[in-house]
Amino acid sequence: MKPEKNEIPEAWEPKIVMFCCNWCSYAGADGAGIGRFQQPASMRIIRVMCSSRVDPVHVFSAFLEGADAVLITGCHLGDCHYINGNEKTLVKFNFMRSMLKELGLEEERLQLNWISASEGEKFSEVVRAVTEQVRQLGPSILKPEGVA
Amino acid sequence: MSELKAGSDIKVGDKLLGWAVSEDVRSRGASGGLVTAVLAAALETGFVERVLVLKRVSEFEAYPVFTSDVKEVLESAGSMHSVPVNLARYLKPETCSGKIALPAKPCDTRAVVERAKRNVLSPENTYVIGLNCGGTMHPETVRKMLEAVYRLGPEEIEGEEILKGKLVFFTKDGKEHAVPIDDLEAEGLGRRDSCRYCQVKVPKNADLACGNWGVPGDLAGKGTFVEVMTEKGAELLRNAVHAGFAELISADEKGISAREKVNKVMLGMSEKRKAEVFAPIENGGERFEYFRKELENCIHCGACKAVCPVCTCGEDSKCTAYSSLADSYRMSLFHMVRFLHLSDSCIGCGQCEDVCPAEILLTRLYQRFAVPIQKEYRYIPGMSDRTPPFFALKPEDNEDKEGSGCSCR
Repeated sequence: MKPEKNEIPEAWEPKIVMFCCNWCSYAGADGAGIGRFQQPASMRIIRVMCSSRVDPVHVFSAFLEGADAVLITGCHLGDCHYINGNEKTLVKFNFMRSMLKELGLEEERLQLNWISASEGEKFSEVVRAVTEQVRQLGPSILKPEGVA
Repeated sequence: MSELKAGSDIKVGDKLLGWAVSEDVRSRGASGGLVTAVLAAALETGFVERVLVLKRVSEFEAYPVFTSDVKEVLESAGSMHSVPVNLARYLKPETCSGKIALPAKPCDTRAVVERAKRNVLSPENTYVIGLNCGGTMHPETVRKMLEAVYRLGPEEIEGEEILKGKLVFFTKDGKEHAVPIDDLEAEGLGRRDSCRYCQVKVPKNADLACGNWGVPGDLAGKGTFVEVMTEKGAELLRNAVHAGFAELISADEKGISAREKVNKVMLGMSEKRKAEVFAPIENGGERFEYFRKELENCIHCGACKAVCPVCTCGEDSKCTAYSSLADSYRMSLFHMVRFLHLSDSCIGCGQCEDVCPAEILLTRLYQRFAVPIQKEYRYIPGMSDRTPPFFALKPEDNEDKEGSGCSCR
């Protein structure tokens, strides 16, 4: 069942659901655009007010609907606009990751990163790195049949 | 024999031997009827308002009732090895106003503790009399066993006992029928699957930890070993002694070490079984395929969630509200949410497995997630009042105070 590397279709591009917090990472995405930093078009960005708004249900739904990976981004620890939302995100993230690992998903399919509003370059770097990692892994096992 | 203990002498940490004063309770209840006596005394003196007990239908059938009738408590007397339910599930805001006492095996006790953390009951008003437990049997399995192995009808049974690793049924014609439990379990009968790898045999998280392990030979069957775990437990015992319902003496060293020994042997057996059941599956696709296959027959009735004692979401919950079979996902969202939620709090009571109409071994699946994650966080649900790791506000809160901490970043 494990997708072999050579099974990955040539034209396959990973689809990654990315959650950006309104105050830092989403502004970081803007920064990446303004600064014209190159990045692959693999992300589907969902803006949330805080990274801690991302419920496990959102993450699981993304995977079940066919996302190859989920990337959660938020403000740096200590910089949260809601005092400590991102610390709660971290707790939940650790849990979800352990659980998905137990279920048989590769660790890299769920990622967390802190990107501030001024880090446009970091934003594009993270997108490039995650996309490359997921491209190596191939399509997710949770992807429904018939979804590219 | 040492002297009878005065009620006022009982304090936390005491290890005692006790029995009911009343001849009737002694003859009806197992091991001297101490637990029955303590419960009856608590009701009689108004120490608690109600008691949650199992009402007996027959030797292997019972249902839970809340009662303030001392007579009903006395009738419930006697330990049972075929227990239908986890009592803790019945403790909810609608049912537990005022002080309540209940007898509880270790998994009931753990469920009570977990439910208290989720604010469905008040720990101050709930008195838990823990009972040692080497495993329970599902009433249906017992019925099957009677027919297939013992060749007996349920109406012929008068009593049941576990003696030296054998499950013995006494029939009304005065005969004994004994079969070693190991033989029964080899055929998939016997104890519940989850009991066979359960890691808590002595309920040290309850207010009192009672049982017949550590009772010296001359008192065997006539006395109960009881360890006072909390101040609430001490109050209960004092009340029973003052009311003249129970008598207690100090346990001797020999009994205490015997109890430890039995506990150790039982835990060793569980540990072995656990290693068998949770043999690692290969990483990646294989693992997912295992879970997918196991859940193949699920009809999404939600019964596993309805009986789960640590799930306190109620009717409206994420796992059911956002999950639809019409989605035809590779795995149901319901199961994914349940796996996540139970990964820190599954106590392995086996209730979900009991009620599953598709006979999926759910406890095993939930424990697959719970075992590594609870180990990672060094968290044993229901054994302390520590906040479940998933509810922690910061990753630092999950670091174990006693040392190494969790492996989270």
